[in-house]
Amino acid sequence: MSDEAAQLILFQVATSVFATAVRDVVRIGSVREIGADELVLDSALGRPYSRERGIVVTLDGAERTLVVDRVLGTRSVPAHAVQPLPAFAAACIRSGALAGLVLVDDVPMPLVDIPNLVRERVDRAAPPPP
Amino acid sequence: MWDSRTGFAQRTEGGPRGQDAWFFSLRILGGRYAFEAALVTEVVRLGPLTRLPAAPSFLPGVFTHRGEVLPVLDIGQLVGQGSIPVRASTRAAIVHCGPWKVAVVSEAVEGLVAIPRRAVEPPPAESSGVAEFLAGVAQDRKGAVAILDMPRLVEAARARAVPAGSATP
Repeated sequence: MSDEAAQLILFQVATSVFATAVRDVVRIGSVREIGADELVLDSALGRPYSRERGIVVTLDGAERTLVVDRVLGTRSVPAHAVQPLPAFAAACIRSGALAGLVLVDDVPMPLVDIPNLVRERVDRAAPPPP
Repeated sequence: MWDSRTGFAQRTEGGPRGQDAWFFSLRILGGRYAFEAALVTEVVRLGPLTRLPAAPSFLPGVFTHRGEVLPVLDIGQLVGQGSIPVRASTRAAIVHCGPWKVAVVSEAVEGLVAIPRRAVEPPPAESSGVAEFLAGVAQDRKGAVAILDMPRLVEAARARAVPAGSATP
């Protein structure tokens, strides 16, 4: 049975640490030069303490940057370490931003689908249709 | 055997007395709460919880137990009576309710109690807070105990889950 490694980026927002798939990320960098309308500051992950680093993803062809406090680095984990949410948690969390959990040193870490996270944030911010 | 009149299981053989029903008792919100004992598979000491983004308040996090990730259910938060504090000594009962497997966090675990069926009375008519999920009330030698309809409580928790995006801190 194959067990290919999953490539993850670990990052921190406020006091919480999250993981995201490397393949979803365009780049990581400073947010100082990025326009406010491209930044996602407040999200289901919480509000970062600082406004220095960002993880850039594309959404409908446009770049959006999730502001984070720290990018902790990349990590390769065996595919079996990536797990779906427990059934009860999956039924209670109606957000597509949480793709599952990754076990890092036997501790579950939320695996975030940043494009979906950003999409939900943008959709919430959009004015309701007339 | 499930008794639709009283809303809880009754063990008709193998118990200390044939007329007793078995329950599992926890201390929650300063009171004694019990539910059908057959729903409990084990009692665990909670490890560090991982908070999940966009999770409702009654789901304070998940933890690993023997390699399995389990969600934690805080009944206090579900019924709007404050959270049950999670410390290194906090214990939880792992409960199976249909498709759902949850760790019900408690202030203390009392364990199995046998309550005579005739001692169980209907719950008060009040339908707010935890009373909404009571199947009955009883007295045993330790005092009053409220009998929870745990499957209904867990299902209600799932049904009350917040819509997408509205749990942003």
